Amino acid sequence: MRVLCARHPHLGLLAALHRYPELRGEPVILGGAPELRLPVVAASTAALAAGVRVGQPLRQAQQSCPAAVFVPLDPAGIGRLRAAVCAELHRLSPTVEAGDEESFGDLSGRHVEFPDEAAWASALARGLRGVLDVEIAVGVAGSRFVARLAARASHPGRIRRVRSGEEAIFLAPLPLDVLPVDPAVTARLAAFGLDCLGAVAGLGPADLQRQFGPDGLRLYRLARGEDSAGINPVPAQRAWSERLVLDGATGDLEILLGAVRECTAALGGRLTTEALAAGEVSVVYEIEEAVAISASVVPANPSGNIAELWAAALGLLGELHPRAPVAAVRVGVSRLTPAAGRQADLLRPGDGTREAVVATADRLRSRFGAATVRRPKLAVDPGDLPERRFTWEAPVVAGATR
Amino acid sequence: MSDSLSVALATLRSRYGPQALRRGGSPEEASAWSTAVPVLDDVLTPGGLPRGRVTLLAAAGRGPSGRLTLLQSLAALASRSHDAGYVDLAGSIDPGFLADLGADLDACLVISPGPERWERGLVMARALVVSGMPWVGIALGWEQPRPSLWEHALAALAEAVAKRGAICVIATPAPVAAPLRHTSSLTLVCAAAGWQRANGDVAGLRVRLTTGKNKLGAPGAEATVLLRYPRPYATAEVVGLPSVVVPRLQPIVVPVSAVVSVAARG
Repeated sequence: MRVLCARHPHLGLLAALHRYPELRGEPVILGGAPELRLPVVAASTAALAAGVRVGQPLRQAQQSCPAAVFVPLDPAGIGRLRAAVCAELHRLSPTVEAGDEESFGDLSGRHVEFPDEAAWASALARGLRGVLDVEIAVGVAGSRFVARLAARASHPGRIRRVRSGEEAIFLAPLPLDVLPVDPAVTARLAAFGLDCLGAVAGLGPADLQRQFGPDGLRLYRLARGEDSAGINPVPAQRAWSERLVLDGATGDLEILLGAVRECTAALGGRLTTEALAAGEVSVVYEIEEAVAISASVVPANPSGNIAELWAAALGLLGELHPRAPVAAVRVGVSRLTPAAGRQADLLRPGDGTREAVVATADRLRSRFGAATVRRPKLAVDPGDLPERRFTWEAPVVAGATR
Repeated sequence: MSDSLSVALATLRSRYGPQALRRGGSPEEASAWSTAVPVLDDVLTPGGLPRGRVTLLAAAGRGPSGRLTLLQSLAALASRSHDAGYVDLAGSIDPGFLADLGADLDACLVISPGPERWERGLVMARALVVSGMPWVGIALGWEQPRPSLWEHALAALAEAVAKRGAICVIATPAPVAAPLRHTSSLTLVCAAAGWQRANGDVAGLRVRLTTGKNKLGAPGAEATVLLRYPRPYATAEVVGLPSVVVPRLQPIVVPVSAVVSVAARG
């Protein structure tokens, strides 16, 4: 597996800069008004240079940098920016993940448009730069952990690639605090006289396991660049709709049925052509001089052709009772996913069935509630009570570990 | 076979496919998924749980029967090699116990549709099977909704299981509902044979398993297994015990020559 990691300023900060372009180059602190007892979420380069640190109280940050502008978090703006990042990454990579300060893309295999991995990574970086309007630091490596560290070692506008098999060499001189483990574990390693990842990798897995339990084995793998954590994929958020304006506003059910049928035929044909299936179907009646009414459904199985889409739309028509003549009809499909069994994903290694199962689980959660489909996970610190031995989490593809 | 019949059969096969016509009388073939307990595999005629069929773990009566523990141990075994779904309608799932049984929790998906939501649970199980989930276990609770509410969902699940070649195991309390009896290809009746004690403490449950219905072989085979509970010094497991009843899977065949010689002497 090859993973690309792109480090960029916090999306909240970028959203604020998009909203207030005059703040570019100024010290900006993200988190809210300094009167609030909240921590600093992110800070611009100028603010960081003035001594502001992420996580410190906002009031303290104001004392460090009195000239700073404080902006609140804008969840809607962050959501829009994240969706744009995902869409841009999805253009060139089959599996993507967009975090607040880091984004990941799957570079496994080859892309037909690019001669090698470097060109592919450059294209992704250029695309992200266009979306975020800021220079980003990119790292490419064989695992998520190494790619993150490669991105940290890189500089804005640069790509740092760690070749396959050279992960351990890259990691060896790095200090222990880059390990994503409990600081107590790092302190204990330091107490043993280990000062870098190379020293940890030099120990045997049995020794580390004896000292740290299951975490020891994880430490060993991390230090050798063999961690199995992959990308937590974000499904492509695409939505299509088909709208038909009627010749004249009408309440005739036959005409409305025909119009919906026409829209579903167009959308269903497009879905079949693109080998996609819709996880959600909606029907909207645009009513003359009144608010449009709509209904949506998450079908039991994704609708990937005209017949399936029509069956879902037909069920919705019974829920819509227009009280005034309808001027236009709109049928929409969203949560588009690759239609299982119709299109092989040649770029992605691993088991496609597992992803189909996870996609189904995701759909079931949307339909029946988040608590209906869960994956258990053993708690790291279980405590004494039996019910604390495990936690529940949403099912995700466990990275191509299997 | 007459020529006209052969021609008619050939026409039907070419028109509707080779599986449209089959000879009756011979047991249907089904590949098996080994349970890793040889005693249990011997009871399950094809050598394990049949793929593409619904297997029922039915309690013999009120009280503990071990069916849910057995189901969880099978789910734990399945999770070690592929994804396993567990539909918890009984409200009895304990992931900690699954871990004690050696399950790979990353491969376990727990579906909790809510109590008495049999139809929803079966619909969700079917959706997972259709998407490619190779192993699904369903734990049914004591409160049984009217069969008319969920029998269609059960039929759809059985069809999906057959189509995808998945393994579906349903644990049900007594009495077993008619749709479940009808749908299952293999019914294992679980009856508690006694507590296993060690040093004055309960260490497990001995369960006698009997094949009540078997579309894939002869019914009536019996086996006894020990469901060993997790201890501070040992993990939970299913262990086969020597059975006091000899499985009668094959009919006793008397050589013709022996019959003839006895008749001649008489």
